[in-house]
Amino acid sequence: MERDVPPEVLRQREVKWLDMLSHWDKWMIKRFNKVRLRCQKGIPPALRGRAWLYLSGGKVKREQNQGKFQELDSQPGDPKWLDVIEKDLHRQFPFHEMFVSRGGHGQQDLFRVLKAYTLYKPDEGYCQAQAPIAAVLLMHMPAEDAFWGLVQICEKYLPGYYSPGLEAIQLDGEILFALLRRVSPVAFRHLEKHKIDPILYMTEWFMCAFSRTLPWASVLRVWDMFLCDGVKIIFRVGLVLLKCTLGTREKLKNCQGLYETMELLRAIDPRYMQEGFLVREVRAEDTEVPPQCKITRDNFITSGGR
Amino acid sequence: QMGGQNLRKEHLYKVLVIGDLGVGKTSIIRRYVHQTFSSNYRATIGVDFALKVLNWDSETVRLQLWDIAGQERFGNMTRVYYREAMGAFIVFDVTRPTTFEAVIKWKEDLDSKVMLANGQRIATVLLANKCDQGRELSNNGIKMDQFCKDHGFVGWFETSAKDNLNISDAANFLVKHIMATENDILKSVVPDTISPQMDSSRQMSCSGCFK
Repeated sequence: MERDVPPEVLRQREVKWLDMLSHWDKWMIKRFNKVRLRCQKGIPPALRGRAWLYLSGGKVKREQNQGKFQELDSQPGDPKWLDVIEKDLHRQFPFHEMFVSRGGHGQQDLFRVLKAYTLYKPDEGYCQAQAPIAAVLLMHMPAEDAFWGLVQICEKYLPGYYSPGLEAIQLDGEILFALLRRVSPVAFRHLEKHKIDPILYMTEWFMCAFSRTLPWASVLRVWDMFLCDGVKIIFRVGLVLLKCTLGTREKLKNCQGLYETMELLRAIDPRYMQEGFLVREVRAEDTEVPPQCKITRDNFITSGGR
Repeated sequence: QMGGQNLRKEHLYKVLVIGDLGVGKTSIIRRYVHQTFSSNYRATIGVDFALKVLNWDSETVRLQLWDIAGQERFGNMTRVYYREAMGAFIVFDVTRPTTFEAVIKWKEDLDSKVMLANGQRIATVLLANKCDQGRELSNNGIKMDQFCKDHGFVGWFETSAKDNLNISDAANFLVKHIMATENDILKSVVPDTISPQMDSSRQMSCSGCFK
């Protein structure tokens, strides 16, 4: 993972990150651009868990709610959700050593975090796409921290994505498609012509924050940026992948149909997902996700969807 | 002779695989398409796809299998997933009665959101999966036949993705029904849209052409 970074550079980065983490508020208020730049360069693996917890605001949330996780953890939970969660425990990153054994620590912690969330937000309950998010967090931090990280992602980063109606994800699908018109007119026209609804290809991308799509090194780099800058990173990654895969007439020659296009998007050329390439492209892709997105989304939800 | 292969008739069918979460939809598809089984398939988020190519007499059938997330909240997206489907499998898990109870709900969802060009419901086969895990349905065969009749299924099969039981039989059965309905549509469309009078006048002008 991230083999390209020479040891001495990594050492320097660790020193810088340790300094940032010990004066976090000051850095976030006064030198956020520097924090962002360092997230774009990649957070040193040894400090990633802590950095994610700080960036997401999970740390503050945990401190504001001392004892809350333990309280939720000790409750039995609604059997309706427990049943579904239990079915998913062995289906998250099944080849990762942490989650490989049934009833092992990884799966147990995953159960605790997801169950705690259903008690924390009983109206929302459990959505299957939350499991990979929680699993990625658990690979980097203990259960309580992962819980607050999950809370922040569900409430602040991707609000409404996991709620029963799934309206927010559908709306973001439409926004992604609208943005694509400017970023890659060729890809846009192709998807439009074949009536390929965004939810056919972007649901898993967005709901799982690309954790099940990209190679692992790229997942980590994307999350470094996502937890710093929010959902616009997810949009940009989506736009880059669409542009690279469907962006020229040449590329579209062999995919004359909905199904062929879907196949192409499900098996994206590894070149485009390689972390160095992807991060460069995402940084260059300065499409501004319209600030009204969130407002539109809130309106959308209160009006009860389409 | 050289052009023979190109002339081979091709059928392309979109087939949905739906049912509650954890009933084994992905496993059935993997078994059918890739001849493998694992108990560790990732939960499907949204939709997944697979293609199975069948040699059908002298014709080729390409089955696009749409593997649709089973969790209830993804039901808000099913309209998009179902579009232009020609057939469906509704799957339940024989070891979990609630998944059987949900079968009717899935069937209603399907019938309310997709239909064939002639307004008919799409051919749907019921799969009683995980039959390797004990519960025999065979004694209930008559009940199941009646259930299928009552709810508009063309048939049902006990399947096991694990032991590779009945899956290709069920698929062949569905394909047969899809082909039959396809022929019905082709036959029915013409008389439905052209009135007998028009027809005869056309024939007149046609024979006129030949003269």
